[in-house]
Amino acid sequence: MPRLVAENVTKTYGANGTAVAAVRGVSLDVDRGDFVAIIGHSGSGKTTLLSILGGLSRPSEGRVLFDGRDLYAFDGDALSEYRCEHVGFVFQFASLLGALTARENLLLPARFRPSRRSAEEREARALELLGLVGLRDRADAYPAELSGGQQRRVAIARAFMNDPRVILADEPTGDLDEETEADVMRLFRAMNERSGTAVVLVTHDTELAGQARRRFRMHRGSLLEA
Amino acid sequence: MAKEFTQLAHAVRNLRRRPTRTVTLVAAIGLLVSALVFALSFVRRVEAGIRTASGRLGADVIVVPTGSRGAAEDVLLDNAVKTFYMDREIADRVRATKGVARVTTQTYLATIAGNCCDVPETIVVAFDQESDFVVAPWLPRALGKRLERGEAVVGSESAFNIRIGLTQVDGRLFGKVFHVLGVLEKTGTGLDTAIFVDEKNVGELVRGGTARPPPGAISVVFVKVEPGVDPARVAGAIEDSIIEADAVARRDVGQTMLRAFGDVSRVFAVTFALAAVLAACLAWAVFTGVANERIREVGLMRAIGAKESHVVRLFLLEVVLVGALGSLAGVVAGTGLSLGLVKGFDVLRSAPAALGVADRLAIAALGLAAGTAICVVGALSPIRSTRRTEPLAVLKGD
Repeated sequence: MPRLVAENVTKTYGANGTAVAAVRGVSLDVDRGDFVAIIGHSGSGKTTLLSILGGLSRPSEGRVLFDGRDLYAFDGDALSEYRCEHVGFVFQFASLLGALTARENLLLPARFRPSRRSAEEREARALELLGLVGLRDRADAYPAELSGGQQRRVAIARAFMNDPRVILADEPTGDLDEETEADVMRLFRAMNERSGTAVVLVTHDTELAGQARRRFRMHRGSLLEA
Repeated sequence: MAKEFTQLAHAVRNLRRRPTRTVTLVAAIGLLVSALVFALSFVRRVEAGIRTASGRLGADVIVVPTGSRGAAEDVLLDNAVKTFYMDREIADRVRATKGVARVTTQTYLATIAGNCCDVPETIVVAFDQESDFVVAPWLPRALGKRLERGEAVVGSESAFNIRIGLTQVDGRLFGKVFHVLGVLEKTGTGLDTAIFVDEKNVGELVRGGTARPPPGAISVVFVKVEPGVDPARVAGAIEDSIIEADAVARRDVGQTMLRAFGDVSRVFAVTFALAAVLAACLAWAVFTGVANERIREVGLMRAIGAKESHVVRLFLLEVVLVGALGSLAGVVAGTGLSLGLVKGFDVLRSAPAALGVADRLAIAALGLAAGTAICVVGALSPIRSTRRTEPLAVLKGD
């Protein structure tokens, strides 16, 4: 059974005469170990679809199943648990908490689910992930002390903190240099291959999308095989 | 090993991001709580002083001439120099009243500074040593002998006035030299400025001075009631049977002053309530600003798995930290003020004892709770609005 399934999902903003469909009748299966890329122009509905898959935005029609259960039948806390335990988000925009160091930003999602690992294990995991994105020596730096690319790498490392089953990445390499972009993609592939973490990558970069095993194109809210 | 990242550490970091704002709110809560602690300390100490003064009179019922109840309270509780007299025979009639166990009498003579006596205007109390149970309890140690003619014990302030222990141990009263044998403990009442002599001196004092009480007159009859008997009931019986006397049960003595002081307490309470509303409004304004400023951060926290309860706890922790810190500073400042300003208030200087540790702790606990609660109440509305922040905000980059 596919792990994450979108069934004929539509998302409409506004009402009646002014209603705009950002996502129209999209169906998508994301299984364990999948590496899916969704490409499309700005405003094509990629981010909206990602937010629906991630339990952040309720679809107007259709449903999203995770391990066979309807996500949007969950209550607020259960949805939060889904996002905390099973999904790793990489957002399009800078998404670190300014008051916390890089290390603490990684520890934050683990703190929302403290029983899974001991404090020492969480600490070790955070430092390991920072090492994987090349920022082990910047663990105690605040976001304001990091470059945009470094902040993005910290955010990517944070997405893996709770060993999620799905990574939902929205333009994850948008402001990274080529070398770092390659490192990040290597990390996605490594986690995908090593632990079977499914990756859904939203990008407008066709070259980047070419590294995924399955590719889709988003056009005016509809999802098409690429 | 790095220090564990806890929610408390997160809250502290958030507060440290805007130090000026945090310090302003801490200071506001601190000022409010210091005012509360100071006012409570003041009220509590004065009330305790009045109650102690009333309680240590050693009598269950006080009998004074009809119409002299107010004057008696002024003398016994407020250092006033007033005299009033009734016939000694009244003491015998009081003794005969049902429920009365013991009686003792006192006669008050007023001195005039620089005229008859070495002491400023004060009350000379002639008392009956045989039956006394009012004066002796205030002596720090027993005299070991009866007061003879020409001998006296004095209240603590009178001792200061005639410089006992420094240059002089004798005082001239109504033209007669008295040798001072002892000093009473500080009572916070009219007893502190009084001078006590045995009643067999009254005749000579009246002859040698300006005091002119009727022959054989007394001012007060102090009554101990039998065990289990209600003093109010005995006081009523005395008033019913002796028309020339007013009787005041011990619980009643000082009630007038306590009632008057209750008004002062209410003024403090109203002032505090207004200041508390102001502080709560300030907390509301500050945390509304904080909530608006952090919409995106909260959205991010929600998106990566924070439940509403996580967000509420974090904000609440920040509010409680600010409230507790401000309250703690206020407790320290208010306690310091109440200790430092004792000399600035006559009513505190004359109080029999400072507040005990238990009272101070209770006031501190109340200050901490009130300051923190006001901060939390002020911040509740912004916290509720923060709780409803949608996690989607972060995806849109708002």
